Amino acid sequence: MKPKLILGIIAIVAFTSMLMINFGNSISTYTDFETASEMKAAHVPGVWDSSKDHGFSRETMQFSFYMTDDAGETKKVVYPRPKPNNFEEADRLVVIGEMRNDVFYASEMLMKCPSKYNNADPSEYVKASES
Amino acid sequence: MLEFAPVIGIMGKLTITLSFLFCVISMVFYFRAAQADNERQLKIGNWMFGLQGLFMVIASALLVFLIFKHQFQFYYVFNYTSLDLAPKYLWSAFYGGQEGSFMLWILFSWIAGICLMKWTRAPYKAPVLFFLALTQAFLISMIVGWRFGDFTFGASPFRTLAEEMPNAPFIQANPDFMPADGTGLNDLLKSPWMMIHPPILFVGFAMMTIPYCFAMAALWKRKYNEWVGPALPWTLGANLSLLTAIFLGGYWAYVTLSFGGFWAWDPVENASLVPWLIGTAGIHTMIIQRKSSVAQKSSLLFAILAYVLIVYETFLTRSGVLADSSVHSFVDLGLYNQLLIFMLVVTGVGLGMFFWRYKELPSPEKESKILSREFMTFTGAVLLLILGVVIILGTSSPILGLLFNENPTPPEISFYNDWSMPIAIIMALFTVLGQYLFWKKYDAETLASALIYPTLVTSLLTLASVILGGVKNPYYMLYIFAGFFAVVGNSWVMARLAMKQPKLIGGSLTHVGFGVLLLGVLASSVYNRPLLDANTQNYNAAVLAGEVVDEMGFPVSQTVEMLELKLNEPKVINNQYLVTYEGYDLTQQNRPGQQTYRFKFETIEGGKPFYLYPEVYPMLATSNAQNVNWSVDPDVRTGIMSDIYLYVAGSSYIERRNNQIEEQGTIQNVSDVDIPAQPADSSQSIEFKRGQTIEVGGFSFNFINFMQADTTNLPSNTSIGIRAQIEIKHAASGEEFLIEPLFAVFTENEQSFVMSPPVNLPSYDLSFQFSKVNPQTDSIELTITGLDETYDEEWVLIVAEKKPFISVVWTGTFLLMGGFTVSIYRHWRREKDKNSKTT
Repeated sequence: MKPKLILGIIAIVAFTSMLMINFGNSISTYTDFETASEMKAAHVPGVWDSSKDHGFSRETMQFSFYMTDDAGETKKVVYPRPKPNNFEEADRLVVIGEMRNDVFYASEMLMKCPSKYNNADPSEYVKASES
Repeated sequence: MLEFAPVIGIMGKLTITLSFLFCVISMVFYFRAAQADNERQLKIGNWMFGLQGLFMVIASALLVFLIFKHQFQFYYVFNYTSLDLAPKYLWSAFYGGQEGSFMLWILFSWIAGICLMKWTRAPYKAPVLFFLALTQAFLISMIVGWRFGDFTFGASPFRTLAEEMPNAPFIQANPDFMPADGTGLNDLLKSPWMMIHPPILFVGFAMMTIPYCFAMAALWKRKYNEWVGPALPWTLGANLSLLTAIFLGGYWAYVTLSFGGFWAWDPVENASLVPWLIGTAGIHTMIIQRKSSVAQKSSLLFAILAYVLIVYETFLTRSGVLADSSVHSFVDLGLYNQLLIFMLVVTGVGLGMFFWRYKELPSPEKESKILSREFMTFTGAVLLLILGVVIILGTSSPILGLLFNENPTPPEISFYNDWSMPIAIIMALFTVLGQYLFWKKYDAETLASALIYPTLVTSLLTLASVILGGVKNPYYMLYIFAGFFAVVGNSWVMARLAMKQPKLIGGSLTHVGFGVLLLGVLASSVYNRPLLDANTQNYNAAVLAGEVVDEMGFPVSQTVEMLELKLNEPKVINNQYLVTYEGYDLTQQNRPGQQTYRFKFETIEGGKPFYLYPEVYPMLATSNAQNVNWSVDPDVRTGIMSDIYLYVAGSSYIERRNNQIEEQGTIQNVSDVDIPAQPADSSQSIEFKRGQTIEVGGFSFNFINFMQADTTNLPSNTSIGIRAQIEIKHAASGEEFLIEPLFAVFTENEQSFVMSPPVNLPSYDLSFQFSKVNPQTDSIELTITGLDETYDEEWVLIVAEKKPFISVVWTGTFLLMGGFTVSIYRHWRREKDKNSKTT
């Protein structure tokens, strides 16, 4: 084989493996509150618990609510922005952030909203900051 | 309901079916024409292709007619329009849904086909049109809407509500049910930018089909060189359209959505960027193939890939696979399988033909030198491909992420930034070398000396911006250098060209635009700052230093990026502006219930004040009586140096409205129970500034001034004794009173006591107490007892950001567009001259 070709193959292999390793590190897995306490930027899907307090505090400038994750555990979630537009409508949430002292500090929040008329339709997620 | 509406529906379905059939027939004739080089077969094929489009035009006209006549018994009309929609949005509703947007795409492809009939020469003509007809057949199949038992083939835009949801109770009761009104267009999409975005995008999609068809024709007819000439203007045109569409999408997102940027690496955005990158790579290789007869393989491959990626994008956005990770993907219409087959056929046929002919494809006899036009241009193409691969990888995370875990999330934004930045730096440096070598032969020495002055100018500019911008990150410095190098180096080439052959500046102009765009992206994203008052800024600095703890003793990590403003109480933000919230107007016109807020910005250094008018409105499509879904519409003040971007995240008005709605809800629920009247003699404390007037409970209170209290009646140990002059006006009767309540502090047994005896207004059963004084803010607190309304302060919560050099991003984009336009003209002109010579 020509040395140039070998060099080229090495470059491609090196590039691809670097890219894949980095890609693998930058994606994470959906999880629950219990394992979230060991992670940074944990993605926790769940449902809003509307029976407990929620609201935006003008003192702390934070929106807080309670969310029940898929394992059935309910935790307080604090989101440092105003209440997203379609929060109440969302039938499912994904909060992204970290767990500290039993409170989940979300830096980003995705909301899955039901389609307008037909509940059988697939829903879609909306980023809280983009809604 | 129009009596003949059902007939129109049937006609619509029929014309689409006919369009599909004629498309398939034209394919057959084109195939035979291509096989046998038969002119007669080609002519018949052209007629069939023409008829195919004609029927699609009729079908589109019928759909537009149904939309304008508000025939809501048709699902498409019901789902995308409503009675109150302005005519321009009724027009755009035609392509607002998936089915209609397929029709628009088909129409543009058809027009492209007519142009090809006129402009393409043998031997490519028949095979090119065959492949175009093939892609048309797939597109039309998406909307034919044939039913075979449970299986449907395509989703017809003419299907009725009864066909869409046969099991819905209102349909079972009355199959001809026609809703009184449609669900309407999403408020966010009611924007002129969104009206023109889809047509421009589909022009790009339709044009990007043509290089694919040419590549396939070249492989079929084994003519691997000449096809790039006619394919180039189409590829350039497709790229210009895609770029314009991406720009419009980004601009819309910036001025309409509340994330305050033009790019978020959202899968749908990425999916539009990647075909553009690969198309651009194809343009590079086609240009050197045309000039020097090299890179035939890569030109073919890029032409195929660019279109495959368009179809892949269509698949991603329309099949529902991205529904979990994207903000704006379509709902699956049951077209998943059809789209998958479309994608597999386009990819399989494309790559299959390519590898089948691979052995006989021309290879370069000798390798190009590194410092040559061929090598540099090819490197440009490879860099674009690498960037494309990175972005595809990130976008495909729902599928490829499965390699890493079972429930993959999308990658972090930093994945895209970390990879695109170094690639962009290398690209920027190479554009200059490439452009120099493209127009003249250099060796290492002569090239270095030619680059001395551009490098010098670049260094000076970089140094100046590093100092002025306070850049500390060496990586950014390198990036800035690369960006300026691209701007300066390519401008140098362009200036020289413009003097001799101004028609040829397309390429260098595009590369200047690329450099400008890079600089704009960095400046606008890294130096984007929230506009905050000094208190919040200090708080944030403390948070970042880890000094703030919450009530549980844990460090607070989230900074505050919002600002609260009270009515007519100016705040200084960023030591630069004095911002005053001046109130809001309620309007019922465009969007019922919309509030337009008024903010006055005064520059502290002087200059004319300016206003920003952000809006908040109830999103009708998703709101109901129990729950209003408030949506924000930011306002942007555009400037050359920086933009100010502002939206209202909350206000006292919205809070009151929400409370009212909640109360109404509870009153309805407990309507049988007697609700005790609110006690009227509750007291409340209101803070007044000197000169401020507050209206509450039918009275207006004006705090005129402080005055020294007469000390003769006060205890001798009084240290402070002041009175507040307050003017009271009863709004209904116009009666006026002046009261002067006292606030005094006296010391007894080394303890301080406050004395603030109440002042009564017996005729209205009110009493007042001067309960606090606050010299710092020049204000007092007055406790009023007996008002039957509590005073709500008018406040707003705003998110404001200063975004430097957004204008540079747009300028870069416009330069790119300008460069593409010049190149299109040049290459199209050349092909036209060739055509007129041969005929």
